[in-house]
Amino acid sequence: MTKAADQHLQIAVGSDIALMNGMIKIIIENGWYDERFLTRSAINFNDLKAQTAEYPLEKVAKITGLEEKDIFAAAETFAKADRAMIAYTLGITEHHCGVNNVFDIANLSLLTGHIGREGTGIMPLRGQNNVQGAGDMGCLPNMLTGAVPVSDDAYRNKIESLWNVTLNPNPGRTQTSVLEQMESGAMKSLYVIGENPLVADVHKNHTTELFKNLDFLVVQDLFLTETAEIADVVLPAKGWAESDGTYTNTDRRIQRVRPAVPAPGKALDDWEILCRLSTKMGYPMHYADAGAIWEEVRMIADHLYGGISHARLDNQGSIQYPCPHEDHPGTTLLHTEFHDSRGKTAPFTPVTYTAPVELPDSEYPLTLTTGRRYEPYNTNTQTRYYPDTVKRKQTEETADIHPLTAEELGIEDGEYVSVASRRGEVTVKARLTEEVQTDLVFMSFHWREVPTNVLTIDEFDPISGTAEYKACAIRIDKLRQ
Amino acid sequence: MTERHETATTCAYCGTGCGLIIETENDQIVRVRGDKSAPVNKGQTCIKGALGYHYIHSEDRLTVPLIKKAGEFTEASWEEALSFIADKLTGIKQQFGPDAFSMFACARTTNEANFATQKFTRAVMGSNNIDGCNRT
Ligand code: SF4
Repeated sequence: MTKAADQHLQIAVGSDIALMNGMIKIIIENGWYDERFLTRSAINFNDLKAQTAEYPLEKVAKITGLEEKDIFAAAETFAKADRAMIAYTLGITEHHCGVNNVFDIANLSLLTGHIGREGTGIMPLRGQNNVQGAGDMGCLPNMLTGAVPVSDDAYRNKIESLWNVTLNPNPGRTQTSVLEQMESGAMKSLYVIGENPLVADVHKNHTTELFKNLDFLVVQDLFLTETAEIADVVLPAKGWAESDGTYTNTDRRIQRVRPAVPAPGKALDDWEILCRLSTKMGYPMHYADAGAIWEEVRMIADHLYGGISHARLDNQGSIQYPCPHEDHPGTTLLHTEFHDSRGKTAPFTPVTYTAPVELPDSEYPLTLTTGRRYEPYNTNTQTRYYPDTVKRKQTEETADIHPLTAEELGIEDGEYVSVASRRGEVTVKARLTEEVQTDLVFMSFHWREVPTNVLTIDEFDPISGTAEYKACAIRIDKLRQ
Repeated sequence: MTERHETATTCAYCGTGCGLIIETENDQIVRVRGDKSAPVNKGQTCIKGALGYHYIHSEDRLTVPLIKKAGEFTEASWEEALSFIADKLTGIKQQFGPDAFSMFACARTTNEANFATQKFTRAVMGSNNIDGCNRT
């Protein structure tokens, strides 16, 4: 990615808000913002101005580790561009201040008017193929199918009469808060579909204890994952290439997935398992196929999917929602009403920079940041099956260390070392690379042989519940012979 | 000669959502290639999309329901496994209420499966404790 870039701002981990506030200050002072757009569409400008005034270039350079002239250049390029877009991923969200990071991205886009026109906007790149769709379908504690809050009485009543049940109007618990409830013992049972939280979640040793605390754990998956191994019941599910239905990609595009091969043994579709279980529990749920389920989705969330049927997708390919009726072409661009007579307005939300929760000290002098690599996928339960004929850059986990840091520690490329945090320790091969900054170490959590998440910290963003995977303090030592 | 079939579908790895063509012979995937007519990728893919499919035919796939008895998994029929789960969950709901249950949904399965997942959680278990790995 950085090879294709004109400018690469390699900031200190977790200093995003300092950088963005600094850029906002520069843009305001130089009058590079879109005055007309601002007076018409944005609220709270004075608050933003006051807040970011506390981020002079010198201070921002110190926090981020960047050169002042580079910060200035980035602010100028972004503000003056005819069209500019901000794409982000987990480097923004996996912090204790993840939500504030996103607010600041919105501040920057709104200030410069880079939103609601083609080629502009904010694009969170979604990791999983259907993370967008799962949320839109209502697999969130606070949202019903169609991305409407559970607290919306009219919408909830509509679903209640369709389903013939009474629904709880209060938001449920996030995964993070469920883990807390498991700790206190209030959470008795958990049903996990296609996830491997024991390996994927922070502070792994602790998470394992919590799972063992449950009275009853069901895991529905393709493989006997680490999480499945400690379950009471494990159910075999069909996978990709075996199931029929749709996914929603990162830009709201509904696309068909189709079965190409039969599933092994007695594996069933995820939805079929749940329907049979519901029926057994006294609430009959029967659908002829995935298309029949989708028809119910369309009926509930017609504001988004009314015009999207499986048949239409089969005929014309994918469609971006919202698409409320059959004659609607779908929506490629959101937020255009910022620019026209509908006069949409949005408030700035000024935010303050806060350093990562666990900073390096004399005992744990380095910072660990975690993420993904190119070839494997998440906990590698699927991508471990690449055949040997596929050439890969990496087939085992490494701790990526800057050569200067390694030299100080007396560590050589390819040597196995101990990486420890206040929560745990792993042994891993060192890989020397200038891709990382000095005193910063990168690791992924793809290989179960090196469970990186025994190291990570269980600190969470108070609003989103996302964990701070991106920064914790560690030490690296040579292995004792 | 064995016949080759082609199925147009969407990649199941990341949120880009590349269109893929699966080529099969005798119910086995023999090749996956980018779909040139797909608006997202116009035929391109990354290594995961084109070569990451081998897990589908792995020997390690789960093929039957498993129930843990005295610390060991034993194979069970669907009837047995689902009755067991239904009893347990009904009991927990009665004794501790709907909030003692929670669901970790899957960000990789279909919209249709996710709809059924939240319907089960809300309508049957009476709980809004449902979340996915969309926070990670
Ligand atoms: S082919 Fe690669 S880039 Fe395309 S959706 Fe699949 S994982 Fe993402």
